[in-house]
Amino acid sequence: MPLAPPSSAVHVQNATPGFLSSPGRSPSFVTVHPVALFSILDHYLRRTDAQERVIGTLLGTRSDTGEIDVRSSFPVLHSETDEQVAVDMEYHRNMYELHHKVNPKEVIVGWYSTGSNLNTYSALIQNFYTQETAPHQAIHIAVNTGVEAGQPAGVKAYVSSPVGVSPKPENAVFVPIPCELRFKETERSGLDLLLNASSQSSSSAHPSTDLDVLESAIQSVYDMLERVLTYVRSVLAGEVKGDAAVGRYLMDTLGQSTDDLEKGGFNASLQDTLMVSYLANLVRSQAEVSARLALTASVPK
Amino acid sequence: MAAPSMAAAIAASLPTPQSAPTPSAPSYEAIPASMSKVIDIDVEIPLTHVQLDGLVVSKIIKHSRESGGSSAHGLLLGLDFDGVLEISNSFPLPHHFTDDDDKSMKGVARYQASMLRSLKEVQADDSVVGFYQAMTLGSFYSQSLVETQAIHQDKLRHGGVVIVHDISQTARGNATFHAFRLTKAFLDAYKKNNFSTDSLIDHRLTFSSIVEEIPLRIRNNPLLSSFLETLQSTSPAVGNTIPPQATATSSIPHSFSVLNLGTANVTRNLEQIVEAMDSYKTEEGNLAYLQRQIAREKARADAYVAKRKEENATRVTQGLAPLPEEDVSRLFKIPPEPSRLESMLLLGRIDAYSKSLEETSGSGLVKMYAAKAGATV
Repeated sequence: MPLAPPSSAVHVQNATPGFLSSPGRSPSFVTVHPVALFSILDHYLRRTDAQERVIGTLLGTRSDTGEIDVRSSFPVLHSETDEQVAVDMEYHRNMYELHHKVNPKEVIVGWYSTGSNLNTYSALIQNFYTQETAPHQAIHIAVNTGVEAGQPAGVKAYVSSPVGVSPKPENAVFVPIPCELRFKETERSGLDLLLNASSQSSSSAHPSTDLDVLESAIQSVYDMLERVLTYVRSVLAGEVKGDAAVGRYLMDTLGQSTDDLEKGGFNASLQDTLMVSYLANLVRSQAEVSARLALTASVPK
Repeated sequence: MAAPSMAAAIAASLPTPQSAPTPSAPSYEAIPASMSKVIDIDVEIPLTHVQLDGLVVSKIIKHSRESGGSSAHGLLLGLDFDGVLEISNSFPLPHHFTDDDDKSMKGVARYQASMLRSLKEVQADDSVVGFYQAMTLGSFYSQSLVETQAIHQDKLRHGGVVIVHDISQTARGNATFHAFRLTKAFLDAYKKNNFSTDSLIDHRLTFSSIVEEIPLRIRNNPLLSSFLETLQSTSPAVGNTIPPQATATSSIPHSFSVLNLGTANVTRNLEQIVEAMDSYKTEEGNLAYLQRQIAREKARADAYVAKRKEENATRVTQGLAPLPEEDVSRLFKIPPEPSRLESMLLLGRIDAYSKSLEETSGSGLVKMYAAKAGATV
């Protein structure tokens, strides 16, 4: 699930710089959890008028394969002027400690900023975060919120390498690395809820019942079948030239054996489900009766 | 016991209710006339809705999933505005109360205070409006939840709300959030700390009247909406072929996990119902035992009084002075009426479990018939 339009850029793996003794592999791939992303957007929304961009710390986990999983983020105060940049390091440490209490598995992996502007200050901040994540390399995630015209919203991830004959903190090359949105399948429905909320005009939604969700899912399957059917019909009628690959996909999908269903598996399963449903109803009414009985069984006086 | 310590810790660190901070202007400025109707300083407008921000939704889901089980809880931050409680942020509370109560209590209070201070520094909302609690299979009634909410309802503006989130339902493909608060009747009984049978009858309390639900809405801020829109929209992949839909990629592809027949949860659900029933039975047994003990003591006291009266009657007929009527309550220790709170909560739990079982089997039926229709075509 890429986060930005695909680019033809080659993701160069930077070789381990000679003076940096980095254990494990350098970051080669970044996955971002929606929570981290949403926090960044929220932080951007709450910035003061004077702030051009906001920065913050990324927390997550590292794997041996060089993959970094960004799980959450928190804002950090900073100020940028023409002459200098200042990051509230004490605030950053405090917040990290607080987060660490709740979620000890998540460690500092890098930092984020909004906007896609990489400058000297970015290099300086990157330098600071590299110290925080040492001995590992820090990653930088640039979130373009899509507020400025002409710049599409997207997320880019970078690692830095020192540049120049005598490396200085304000000089760095930001090397892009691939970045993806990742979440567990079980969290998917929460995201669906938000998608629903944003697609509705009033930008608000009520959580619906199981059956509503099921209905919309079935409806969308129905629509897809309809689309496939139209395509197949038009191929049969000779209007469109058939695609062999699509044909094989359809064959694989629709040619699944349904013997098991016909051989009474359906009925057995149906009976089980009905039984469970009956039991659930029975328990509920018993519980209700029991609660009422507790009220009527008054102490004789 | 961990639960009361947590509740007390939260209570200790809660700010005292203050005048409403105005959402549009800093609170020291005069409230503009157009706003005076919707900003209530004296907490007069009753809550009609709870509005949950997208950020909070995803934070709660993440926290609940990671801590696995129903132990995840945290605080909700936000403001109320014209009867709508807007929850704009949340943070998780640490969960390990193994060491001694006092220390962990203070730890939580300190954690919370410094978290609130830190959030204030980056212009995030920092007023506590309630807490959230993760649950599995629809059951959230527990002593600690009730206790914490009772404290909140005393201390917070509008009494605060508790938002419960069902992890297992989210895993099934339907994320749900419900906002609750305690009913007046329950709170009254709770304050008197009296859950005897009489008190229950007086307050007409059953498990279904412990909490009342407040309608809940999900809202995304426009920035988040547009960002999600971008993520969802399909971007054409490099090397286009026909049909384009097959190769297009999207950050958030369609998901059909809702359609899984998956009945794995049913077994677990049934087990939990049985478990809850067992504990209910034990609890009922305890209550009945106490009840019998009370009855026995009462009978003995009554017998004593009757005997004394009879004796006095005979003494009077014999012309002797009657013996003084002693205070029976000092001679016989009649135990206090047992609290029925736990058994009520257990009943609520049983009801919730079977409700979720009912829902699973209901949607399971639909899916089975859908699959069959697909198979026979």
